[in-house]
Amino acid sequence: MGAETGSPDASPFGAPAAWTVGLVRRTGFATRASLGRRDGRATFAVVWVAYFLAYAVELDHLGRRGAATTGTDGGRSSAVDLVVASDPLALLTRRVAPFQYEPIALVTVGPVEYLFAPVNVAIGLGLAALVGVTLAVSVVAWRGPAACRIGAGAGAAAGIPGLLSGFVCCGPTLLLVIGVQASAGLLAVMQWFLPLAVLGLVATLLWVGSRVDPAAVA
Amino acid sequence: MRFRGCVRPSHPRFGLYTVESEWYGMTHTRRAALAGVAALGAVGVAGCLGGGRDSFGGGTDTGESGADGGDGSTDTANGPPTVDAAYHVPYESDALVDESLDGGVGKDGIPSIEEPSFRPIGEVTYAEGLPVFGVVRNGAAKAYPQHVLSHHEIVNDEFDGEPVSVTYCPLTGTAQGFRRGDTTFGVSGRLVNSNLIMYDRGTESRWPQMLATGIDGPMTGATLDEFRVVWTTAEEWAARHPDSVVMTDDTGFLRRYENDPYGSYAPLGGYYARDRTMFPPLASPEEGHAKSVVIGARTDRGAVAFDKRTLLAERVLTGTVGEGGASVVAVADTGLSTGYVYRNPDDLPVAPDGEGYRVGAEGDAFAADALPLDPVLAFDAMWFAWAGFYPDTTFVGEHTGAGYGG
Repeated sequence: MGAETGSPDASPFGAPAAWTVGLVRRTGFATRASLGRRDGRATFAVVWVAYFLAYAVELDHLGRRGAATTGTDGGRSSAVDLVVASDPLALLTRRVAPFQYEPIALVTVGPVEYLFAPVNVAIGLGLAALVGVTLAVSVVAWRGPAACRIGAGAGAAAGIPGLLSGFVCCGPTLLLVIGVQASAGLLAVMQWFLPLAVLGLVATLLWVGSRVDPAAVA
Repeated sequence: MRFRGCVRPSHPRFGLYTVESEWYGMTHTRRAALAGVAALGAVGVAGCLGGGRDSFGGGTDTGESGADGGDGSTDTANGPPTVDAAYHVPYESDALVDESLDGGVGKDGIPSIEEPSFRPIGEVTYAEGLPVFGVVRNGAAKAYPQHVLSHHEIVNDEFDGEPVSVTYCPLTGTAQGFRRGDTTFGVSGRLVNSNLIMYDRGTESRWPQMLATGIDGPMTGATLDEFRVVWTTAEEWAARHPDSVVMTDDTGFLRRYENDPYGSYAPLGGYYARDRTMFPPLASPEEGHAKSVVIGARTDRGAVAFDKRTLLAERVLTGTVGEGGASVVAVADTGLSTGYVYRNPDDLPVAPDGEGYRVGAEGDAFAADALPLDPVLAFDAMWFAWAGFYPDTTFVGEHTGAGYGG
């Protein structure tokens, strides 16, 4: 096990490649070790599902059905309904906004609607997994004092980039919610929120992983 | 308090003006060049208030698509039909391009509807007060639900074989119709003064919806052939036009159509109710709720705005197009909760007579949309948007609260 942890005291300035490889291996091992524990798996599962649902809500793909009609337009008056686009393959990769793609199906279950956009499902599940793993490692590290070299506050902070990344989808609609007026600069920055969030999540995961002693976690 | 006057009565017509907008609680000031009746407004000016448009939208067509557009090159031949009579545009086209913003969705990110489907309006039951945009043209009546168009903004449709586009900008609360010829309009993804900038797929020229005037591309300076779209409610439109059809949400795309991403008109909420905007306006009026609704009309010489709620209450309002400009009169159509504007150069008295109006001392009563006067195309707009594009507009009525005025 010690062989997989690398040298925790290696300096990034001395041997950058070796340090990076060691960091990744150490984080990978910490991740596997965390997901090998029940509390780690539970954290991952809850966060993964919750984050994906929040991402879908923020995209406006998931939500409560509105009240524009009283049920006689479009024939969607049944409790469960599925509408598939007439040409789903043509719509599948059609870009609506940065990192937002065209839905190809609408599922209605009672008062709840869900727009199924496959590319966004993949993005959402990927983001959710990154957030879930980061928080799982944080929680395991926090619950295992012998292994932990990060505090509870730092563990919670580790999830912040992931949570913020969920807002990247909304573009100007987010500004409407928080009441901030858009500018050219802000709109330009918002288009890079998602890749920046992914980088932030990966960096956070590497940081959390580097702070955990996998031997103690396992 | 009744107010009649300009947004900024003292603004310099040939100088610099200040724009104030809220920004983290601070006053944000920008400067932009004004050119009075700018070059845009001078293109194809008919020379008098009576020139060009002869009805609620039936302009004097130049005869060919894009024939009077911009540089007159063959690049404009594939563009939309234009008219000789230009609208007053108090900004240079370059200034408008500079002030335009990326709306965050990209070109055609908001997809226009290319093959709309319809059903008889009597077969559909909508929530009370649900806005629709009504068009009567070539003997056909159609209604376009606001909650569907808020997701698409443009419908490329036909009326008895005549290609038209019905357009809607949620952020400025404007619904306008344009003849489109053999081309179609799409959503460019950019905004100016919060207003949708359309592009035509024939020439790729850019057209801010409210201005109906090209600001970029081969047709810069050309004026679209515009027609009236009535902002009303589904039940009012169905009562007036029981044989009308209504556009369905079978658009070729899937959206959560019953959820307006910006807010709600019935009941009023979200963006449509707030006294602030998502994007900085070109100019800010000194009075009035940003989202109060005016019936706005513009000619080649200026612009006038009638507060819609005041008009519906008083039924007749009179004013001028710009300070000291030509006289106009606005009358309400209470059945559709809308209004119509007419030139009234002789200041003839106009008074309600039952459901209609009498013009002059004697004579028959006429429907609100059929007065024996020269009509000026008018449409609903949020006050901030109208005042932003036309800072020299006159305003008639009392400033009222947010909402569509019905």
